[in-house]
Amino acid sequence: MRERIRRSLVRIGAMAGKEARHVVRDPRTLYMSLGMPVVMLFLFGYGLSFDLDHIPVAAIDQDRTAASRELIRALTVSGELEYAGEAADPAAALSGFRKGALVGAVVVDRGYARDVLAGKRVPVQLLVDGGDPNVANQVLAKADALVRAETRRLAGPDLAAQAPPVQVQVYTRYNPEGRSALFLVPGLAAYLMAITAVLLTALTVAGEWERGSMEQLFASPIGRLEIVLGKLLPYLVIGLLEFLLVVAFGMTAFDLPLRGSGLVLTLLGFTFLVGMLGQGLLVSVIAKNQTVATQAGMLSSLLPSLLLSGMIFPLENMPLPLRALSRVIPARYLVHGLRGVLLKGNGLALLWPDLLAQVLFAAAVIALATLRFRRRLA
Amino acid sequence: MTAYAIEAEGLTRRFGEFTAVDAVSFQVEPGEIFGYLGANGAGKSTTIRMLNGLLAPTRGTARVAGHDVARDPEAVRAAIGYMSQRFSLYLDLPAIENLLFFGGAYGLSGAPLRRRAEELLELTGLAGQAGAITGAMPGGLRQRLALAGAILHRPAVVFLDEPTAGVDPVARRGFWRLIRELSAGGTTVFVTTHYLDEAEYCGRIGLMVDGRLVALDTPAALKRTWVPDRVLVARGQGLGPAAAALRAVPGVRSVEPFGAGLHLRVDPARVGEGEVAAALGAAGARQVVVERGEASLEDVFLAVVGRGAGGPEAAP
Repeated sequence: MRERIRRSLVRIGAMAGKEARHVVRDPRTLYMSLGMPVVMLFLFGYGLSFDLDHIPVAAIDQDRTAASRELIRALTVSGELEYAGEAADPAAALSGFRKGALVGAVVVDRGYARDVLAGKRVPVQLLVDGGDPNVANQVLAKADALVRAETRRLAGPDLAAQAPPVQVQVYTRYNPEGRSALFLVPGLAAYLMAITAVLLTALTVAGEWERGSMEQLFASPIGRLEIVLGKLLPYLVIGLLEFLLVVAFGMTAFDLPLRGSGLVLTLLGFTFLVGMLGQGLLVSVIAKNQTVATQAGMLSSLLPSLLLSGMIFPLENMPLPLRALSRVIPARYLVHGLRGVLLKGNGLALLWPDLLAQVLFAAAVIALATLRFRRRLA
Repeated sequence: MTAYAIEAEGLTRRFGEFTAVDAVSFQVEPGEIFGYLGANGAGKSTTIRMLNGLLAPTRGTARVAGHDVARDPEAVRAAIGYMSQRFSLYLDLPAIENLLFFGGAYGLSGAPLRRRAEELLELTGLAGQAGAITGAMPGGLRQRLALAGAILHRPAVVFLDEPTAGVDPVARRGFWRLIRELSAGGTTVFVTTHYLDEAEYCGRIGLMVDGRLVALDTPAALKRTWVPDRVLVARGQGLGPAAAALRAVPGVRSVEPFGAGLHLRVDPARVGEGEVAAALGAAGARQVVVERGEASLEDVFLAVVGRGAGGPEAAP
């Protein structure tokens, strides 16, 4: 019995060692799995930011009083909306929208200062380029809040007293600045791990079929499970490194906090990774050639983890069928779990459903792959 | 327990309606070189795959190295070496690492594995090639490396499926020297080929036609049994146009172009060298010389496959 186990370990080790040598011989694998995350983090973290910053806004000041100038200054002082100069009339602002030079314009009517001081309702018009609804919504919300604050300041406590007795105050917890990096890094980790893990395993196993060496392996005493384990081990290590790299990079470059336990974090990443490696295995067992495996691997990892994980598009807004579909996408659980452990400091007491979902997925997909693997061999 | 290295009994494999291997039975002695001949699709590879446990037989049984293929495939796999039709080495790895990997797949490890790998590089004449990237090695060397990978674990039986396909004649000769050394060392070699010249090296030959084993014997006995005619070789000028006339001569069984001359099979009771020379001369050939020739395995193959209408694989 001991001898059997020893031999089995030798065979798994031989497989894993060979696979590792392939990676060392062809460092593209390493570039892809460790270099790509850094590039992607930069792109997503800096380039693809959802934060509002330096949105060019023009002013159409028809009141031309100290109060109106103060209002415009107050709107643009934070830097989120940036004062882009004065426009003569709304038509000039619209032409700015078309050129892309402006996203918004504030129109202050004649009599603004007088009416504010008299305690009247004062309409301040805001023109927004609705071409990008995401930006438009945020401009509207920010401008609205700023205008209210400014009006209250000008009107003094008298007007404030007339305000409704109940006031809604919004506090944003965990990510008060609404920084997209904090929001994106967990999603990005899921996305990157999904792609590399699925693709790498799909390619390596399909390559074995394509080369004909799978037949050679099957004629040797090495067992199917030994092949699978030996093949997955090196990529598990690479995947974990990639995961930790993404998180570490997020923490240093974007001040991503780790409020929960590092162990829980690693556990989440690990179980997710095993599931993705299993998915890659399944793809390659079905595809059996590298071209098909690449495409199937990409499609089955990239799209769901990008679209259905809640990484960018909130799951709550999706139609029911898509929401139901997202329940079998492990990236969804990883994104949720990572946000929990990174931003909220949640522990296993709260995150066990995410962990369990990932373990179930991994077990199901590996069982399916091994079953298919077996059936194809007579 | 039997003393045979390989024993097949009514071995049959069907794929749907198609019977790839049809009730094949044979025994192979330990240390024998057993050649398995046939056109592509005749069932050679399917037979090998059943013998090494890759395919389950539809009917029939087989024992390899004393183990039943269906009941104890693991024991069979540990006792055999297999070199599949396609070179399944890892081309991006150096030669030595391919050997170390295949050794590991058979459970060898550590210093014994390394010693054995180096020993095999030496044996196969690849001692200087240990660090060479496999993909950059010429076909002949690569194929010797594949053989080395198949015999690292000292298997009792080695299956070689068309090991010399696409390799130049000099390399093929070297490869067969290795096979004979293996056999001399007691290893049973089961080899398929469609090069009829190298089949002469085999102790015994089985001939497959359409899934059936239609002939099985030593090369010499096969020639005696299947080619009872006398073989004559005619040389001279203008033989091509005269060949047709020769076919009309009673007692001439077949006429085949062979190099610059003609290769014919005749009934010795009715036709001799003189008659052939006369017939050729009458048909316009000049400087005709006719000599006794020796039957080749090609003649056997043609006779077996059916009266000279051999498949494209029949030509060496």
